[in-house]
Amino acid sequence: MTTHAHAHPTGYKQYFMIWVWLLVMTMSALGIGYVHSIPESIKALLLVGITLAKIFLIGAFFMHLKTEKLNLIMLTFSPLILSIILFFFTFGETTKDPTHVIDNQSPNFVMPTGEVKEH
Amino acid sequence: MESTSLAEQEQILASDWGGGKSPFGTAWPKFMMWIFIVSDALTFAGFLIAYGFVRQIAPTWPVQMTIFSPVLITFMTFILISSSAVMAMAVSAARAGDPKSATKFLSLTIVGGAIFLGCQAYEWWHFISEGATLTHNPWGVPQFAASFFVITGFHGFHVFTGLTILAIVAMRAAMGKYSADSVENAGLYWHFVDVVWVFVFAFYYLL
Repeated sequence: MTTHAHAHPTGYKQYFMIWVWLLVMTMSALGIGYVHSIPESIKALLLVGITLAKIFLIGAFFMHLKTEKLNLIMLTFSPLILSIILFFFTFGETTKDPTHVIDNQSPNFVMPTGEVKEH
Repeated sequence: MESTSLAEQEQILASDWGGGKSPFGTAWPKFMMWIFIVSDALTFAGFLIAYGFVRQIAPTWPVQMTIFSPVLITFMTFILISSSAVMAMAVSAARAGDPKSATKFLSLTIVGGAIFLGCQAYEWWHFISEGATLTHNPWGVPQFAASFFVITGFHGFHVFTGLTILAIVAMRAAMGKYSADSVENAGLYWHFVDVVWVFVFAFYYLL
């Protein structure tokens, strides 16, 4: 089995600092989630930014990606890139075709009270 | 043109597959773990995009924070992030040739994971007792509960699998029959579980 001189012990202090940053960002995300005065689009943007910052820290330090070769680092970006493509493809569909909209007036739709809605 | 003999081709293949060489410069078990993580991330990406899609086309969507306990969700996030940090320390200890510390940190990671799973079980129990099922729920659009069960259920299954893997690695470390590479590979999986939760926390619970 190969042992890597590069993937080695980083000090516990560094992990502790990353942990603190992750907690700070988690609390910030929670705060943003709670503030109702922020427009949804700005809220989404801020939450995406914080989430990406968190996964950057976890990936770079906890998963040691910062010491890996660029090829491997790029490989790990593929799900993120595909997600962005999927998001833009599906998001477009939600605004164009009204038949995609969930019909809460359908015969099978269950009302909040529990009874089945009838047309 | 000079042709490469079969023996030379095998040698080239073996040198790449043996790890520590181009193109990825890593041992093959770790590379395979990365490939698994990437494929699993694609699955979760599909779930989260599908969730975003149904939410976008739904006429209404419940305010999640009035249904789920923010304190519980924050506590679960705190636990998982902490267990991830402790897991990183376990890898460091294993790399430093300190099985005693590695076992201690692995055990703490397992405790964190078990607490997280317990909280998730409580959350599911509470949600179901309020009338939520895969097909309907008391708050309106059926897709609200369906996406909750599918996304958190799939993530919970990953946590359970991670705990099983960590338990095996911890037992082997306690017996001195471990390699630092196996601890690192188990750690990669555990950090991935944490990464997925970071997305679920932001997009399902907060947004």
